[in-house]
Amino acid sequence: MKTQFYIKFGIIIAVIGICFYLFYPPEKKLKKGLDLQGGIHVVLEIEKEKIEEKSISDLTERALEIIRNRVDALGVTEPVIQKEGTNRIIIDLPGVKNPEKAIDIIGKTALLEFKLVIDDENLYKQALEGNVPEGYELLYLKEKDERGIYRETQPLLLKSQPELTGKYIVDAYVGYDRTGFPDVNLVLDKEGAKIFEEVTEKNIGKRLAIVLDGVIKSAPQIRERIPEGKAVITGKFTMDEARELAIVLRSGALPAKLNIIYQEVIGPSLGKESVQKGFKASLYGAIIVLIFMIFYYLYFGLLADFALTLNILILLGIVAGIKGVLTLPGIAGIALTCGMAVDANILIFERIREELKAGKSPKASVDAGFHRAWAAIIDSNITTLITGLVLFIFGEGVIKGFGLTLSIGIIANLFTAVFVTKVIVDWIIINRKIERLRI
Amino acid sequence: MELIKTTNFNFMGKRKFFYFFSLLIIIFGIPFMIIRGEKNFGVDFVGGDLINIEFNQKIDVANLRKTIAQENIGSFTVQELGTEGKNYIIRLPQKTSDLVLERLKNNFGENFIIKGKSIISPSMSISLRKKAIKAFLIGLIGILIYLTIRFEFKFAVGAVVALFHDILVVLSILVMTGKQIDGMVIAALLTIIGYSVNDTVVVFDRIRENARKTRTTDYIALFNKSINETLSRTILTGLTTIFVVLCLFFFGGESLHTFSFCLLLGIVFGTYSSIFIASAIVVDWLKRSSVRLKI
Repeated sequence: MKTQFYIKFGIIIAVIGICFYLFYPPEKKLKKGLDLQGGIHVVLEIEKEKIEEKSISDLTERALEIIRNRVDALGVTEPVIQKEGTNRIIIDLPGVKNPEKAIDIIGKTALLEFKLVIDDENLYKQALEGNVPEGYELLYLKEKDERGIYRETQPLLLKSQPELTGKYIVDAYVGYDRTGFPDVNLVLDKEGAKIFEEVTEKNIGKRLAIVLDGVIKSAPQIRERIPEGKAVITGKFTMDEARELAIVLRSGALPAKLNIIYQEVIGPSLGKESVQKGFKASLYGAIIVLIFMIFYYLYFGLLADFALTLNILILLGIVAGIKGVLTLPGIAGIALTCGMAVDANILIFERIREELKAGKSPKASVDAGFHRAWAAIIDSNITTLITGLVLFIFGEGVIKGFGLTLSIGIIANLFTAVFVTKVIVDWIIINRKIERLRI
Repeated sequence: MELIKTTNFNFMGKRKFFYFFSLLIIIFGIPFMIIRGEKNFGVDFVGGDLINIEFNQKIDVANLRKTIAQENIGSFTVQELGTEGKNYIIRLPQKTSDLVLERLKNNFGENFIIKGKSIISPSMSISLRKKAIKAFLIGLIGILIYLTIRFEFKFAVGAVVALFHDILVVLSILVMTGKQIDGMVIAALLTIIGYSVNDTVVVFDRIRENARKTRTTDYIALFNKSINETLSRTILTGLTTIFVVLCLFFFGGESLHTFSFCLLLGIVFGTYSSIFIASAIVVDWLKRSSVRLKI
């Protein structure tokens, strides 16, 4: 009997410890949603007209590359860029300083250019010192380092006037060279082919930089005159690098418009206000519930309060543990959990009272109370869980956060209100040999 | 302490009156919905622009309206937040926010900041609407299936009708009080569904228990007994939840205002509907049915 209690208490203490570890300190471990820290949320849609269904997914892929490139340039710390459905892209940029500018940059048409790299030592030195000569520009080449992180490596001096732009590109795809290394094949249209032939003829030996939205993606050397608009870019590419370069090239030929169909700007002051007020309101709500329970059920109320506190602890621990995002409705969800979490305990306690009234002994009443309330607790919690999960799965943005906290709250509730309180009540009744139960 | 001692109310005897009462609210709400049309919905669901601006001093609302009207953008609304006359939410037609902000800058100079801004295109609002409806349907179907398994089909239908009732009543009251239905309201409505079904299930559970014990066919008495036995729990849980929601309403700031208002209504009507809609429908159905209750 005793060892059983020790095991149960051990489980409870372990859960408390783990959850505390997971979310403490909350400022660091709990990720705040956009609505709480300010930032922008943008949904882009690829205009569908005239594009075959099959190619839309590929188009979105290319558009994603463009957007990633632009967001990188903005220097936002934890951007979220993801594809939704076949033709939408969701972008979350927390804590952006200048939202208007960021949206402008994201929404503009992609610009892919081919620019000649200038090798003149003197001009290059001059440019590095800050005197970029007229008609030239100094741009950085972004390369992946060994760990796959993009780094700006050496700057290159380019002729400002592009030799060719992305609008002449028909296609770009990954192939293999004779030694089996991946390479990138580029196909230009008729007009582009003519320009490209001229450029390559005049500049054999020089490097031609591929520039997407002002960032050099690659700067291959021109080996020979390339007629017919079919170029092959070789290098010691890995498969991923080759694929990425092909996407960059294709992105320049994006035959579709990116439309901003949803944009939301949350100023930092609004976010701060929401956190403070939401937190304050939730705290007040929790305190009232805690006091009410003691007032109404005395020692049993204390027990319910312990369960409730544990419930919130577990909830925060799990949210932090699964890297969930805390939104304002999410905080409201936690507060609401407080109100609804005591329900299980109320069900049990009311049942114990009924059993006592029916003349049962304290031990028998407690057992019957927990036992009989069980069906109601399970059924009512599962039905609530169904709606919580629906909100989490089908909800958008902030509502998702609400569904998450609500669902986790209910699961935590089943553990605390039923298991934890039962262990403690049993332990007290057995050890203290209680004759009369005040509830 | 014990607030509710043993009670013996004849809840089921008054069910016809409460059917009528609920119907009345919904019937009053419908004309409001029709008259207000698109204005019922927040920009999330019909598209449009929304800006939240705060001035550094109190300004005249009429002046603000006049300034915006100069832009000739069609219908717009200005809603004051708080009581200081500084913070406003302005709802504008599609893609007019930049024009209006420009105009405001010309008129009020640098005396205000943009706290928030949303621009929602029609195609986005359509998909948000679809998502909301999908969420409701899936949630309701999930509940219907679960309750059919755990109880009986009649009970599942009773609970789901009660949920429809809750949504309709809360929406009617929202519309009558001039509130807008937006994403947060949808989240609140789904929470209400969760709460209401939770409450209903507790009553049903007691009915199931008593039915197994007594094997009675006097359904009215069976239901009344079960509702009375669970009444004290029903009220206590309602109270604790209402405490929290009231705190959200009074201290949670503007962003949670409509949300918590909705929840408040939902808890009251969700509790009410467990007794007077969900249980009442099951009683009426059982009385007319030749098949005995078997759960």
